[in-house]
Amino acid sequence: MSRKWGKGLLVLGAILFGMSMVISAPVLGKEQLVLEFWHYWDGNNAKAAETFAARYNQLHPDVKVKPVFVSTGELLPKIQAAVLAGKPPALAIADIAWMGRLLRSGALAPLDAYLKERKVNVDDFYPSLLEYSQYKGQMLALPLTTNNLALFYNKDLFRAAGLDPERPPKTWDELVEYATRMTKKDGSVYGFEMYSQVDETGEGLTWNLQPYLWQAGADFLTDNYTRPGFNNERGEKALEFVVDLFQKHRVAGLARKDSFGKGQAAMVVNGPWMVGIWKDSVPFEFGCAPIPYPEWGKPATNMGGEQIFIFKGDEKREKAATDFVLWLTDTANMIEWDKMTGALPVRASVAKDPGYRQWLQGVEPRLLVFVDQQRYAHARPPIPEYADCSLAFAKEMEKAYYGRQSVKEALANAEKALLAILQKK
Amino acid sequence: MKERRIKARNRYRWDEIRTAIICLAPAAAIFAVFNVVPTVWSLVLSLSDWDWLGTARRFVGLAQYGALLRSPEFWNSLRVTVLYTTGVTVLGLVAGLTVALCLSGNVRARAFWRSVYFTPAVTATVAAGVVWVYLFDPAGGLVNLWLRRMGLPGPAWLTDPSWALVAIIMVSVWKRLGLNTVIYLAGLQSIPDEYYEAVSVDGGGVWAGFAHVTWPLLAPTTWLLAIMSVIDSFQVFDLVYVMTSGGPMGATEVMGLYLYRQAFRLFHMGYASAVGWTIFIFVFLATLLQWRVSGAGGASIYGASTR
Repeated sequence: MSRKWGKGLLVLGAILFGMSMVISAPVLGKEQLVLEFWHYWDGNNAKAAETFAARYNQLHPDVKVKPVFVSTGELLPKIQAAVLAGKPPALAIADIAWMGRLLRSGALAPLDAYLKERKVNVDDFYPSLLEYSQYKGQMLALPLTTNNLALFYNKDLFRAAGLDPERPPKTWDELVEYATRMTKKDGSVYGFEMYSQVDETGEGLTWNLQPYLWQAGADFLTDNYTRPGFNNERGEKALEFVVDLFQKHRVAGLARKDSFGKGQAAMVVNGPWMVGIWKDSVPFEFGCAPIPYPEWGKPATNMGGEQIFIFKGDEKREKAATDFVLWLTDTANMIEWDKMTGALPVRASVAKDPGYRQWLQGVEPRLLVFVDQQRYAHARPPIPEYADCSLAFAKEMEKAYYGRQSVKEALANAEKALLAILQKK
Repeated sequence: MKERRIKARNRYRWDEIRTAIICLAPAAAIFAVFNVVPTVWSLVLSLSDWDWLGTARRFVGLAQYGALLRSPEFWNSLRVTVLYTTGVTVLGLVAGLTVALCLSGNVRARAFWRSVYFTPAVTATVAAGVVWVYLFDPAGGLVNLWLRRMGLPGPAWLTDPSWALVAIIMVSVWKRLGLNTVIYLAGLQSIPDEYYEAVSVDGGGVWAGFAHVTWPLLAPTTWLLAIMSVIDSFQVFDLVYVMTSGGPMGATEVMGLYLYRQAFRLFHMGYASAVGWTIFIFVFLATLLQWRVSGAGGASIYGASTR
């Protein structure tokens, strides 16, 4: 019997030894610090991440930045699980909508000392973006990309309806007028496409509606994000405008996804990433313009984007990861990143750079609309309760879009739901 | 012989025990790590308030269950789940039995038809869901194209709150049809022909044969399929996630989806665990019912064999 035991142990030992050889082999060869960089990018963004990582690795043979893809929906849960398990990646990016939660997690490494030591001009980053980078006076992340929403319009459908394709609508009234002219009675073409389904998070609906609130002078949350700011006359005007698109004018279809790309909607509001996607995939000519706003209101759009941050770890790893982040976000690299991906500048020095503007003008003038609109972009509340607020808000608005409750009821119910969420904390 | 097999030996040799432990250890370890620990942990979580990162875990007793019972969204998800389960189970059984009856007679190319009906059962749910989203598209989908050709108006299936759940039930029935048919076919084949001969000797027709022989003798099969369907349907997630994400206006927000949203989109881990345990209670009750009914299934010629 004991011989059998001995044999078993021997086999086990051999297996373990073999495994340790496999695992340690590359490490033994070269003392290299591997920095996992988690992201959810695909397409041009993923290519840019690989390109910049490779370039950095060539400059720093002792470090290996390794971009790792995690799908959008899984990134935040995975980060949370990794942090709880004590094995976070070296660095990651996240949508600004998640930063409220991440900044409070206690898992991010403060960057202040490094920024000071390297004399980084933090003021060059747009202050509205830095709202998502700081918590309790500490800099815990840096803006990497940003974007905003603008109007896309199908020039072919404009021409077919006898509209001037170089003169997109500027006001809400014009938007309704143009959309009415382009809507086909049989439902095959709508004049406008508006995101109207709650989906998983409600955020798609919410962030598409917020610009109209801001244009009308209402707010999503007000008083330092402590209470809703939309249940008032200005909020009513904004929601009424959107509900009328579905219910009164019938120029938008409920829960239609990607109608614009299929030529089934003449206008849509979307982000700059769609310029690159539609440029190669739609058989019609399209243009971009600022989101129309009422004569009595003011221009406004919603701001999206991503932040890059470093997880607490041993000092050596933190330092190496910070070096990569500061290198990646310097003006020269940011210009190149934005050219590769179509992301909007997060630094004033990039937006003003004559070379960058000239490149935009020549290659993709439609992106200039987004770059210039950035000054009207509003930030969504960087608080951890935002996800709950966004979902609760979207659920009430959806009912109004479907005509199941009035504009006033929807705003009052949403206010009640959001107050309950905000007061719970 | 039988006696010896059933009666357990009360003494084992040490090396037998050791072998047993060595053989069982990997499976037991996997079961403990991936089943027992998470189950117990989720019970602990359901008694706590915890929003993952950066929040402290507080013991709150049964407060999460109280909040759950007060939430209209939870009751909506329960209502939707019950409607879905009832629809899938009843329609699935009717469809499965109908197809099985058609295939049990002298049908040409029977094997071919069986595989046709079984194909949906072996198709990946997510892939099937995506395809059905295209088929249900109100503007260019095949479903409405055919309805229009027949002169019928097609609804906006997945985006109309009154039709979305109907559409999802139809797809689920379509997916379960193969399984139900095959098990019903097996049940039908075990009914001896003599019973039908007896019916015809007594002057009964096809309907009498069905009502007095087929249906009562298939009762255990029907029960088995019904309980399986209830247990599966109560836990539905992937199909709804792909087809509607619970919309429009919560019309298809089943409990599994509600749990997922609370846990992995809003990170209310305590609350989501309470939802999970509530689902467990319902599924457990359904299983208990199955034990009782199948154990006491007196109408069955199999008697104790289904116990």
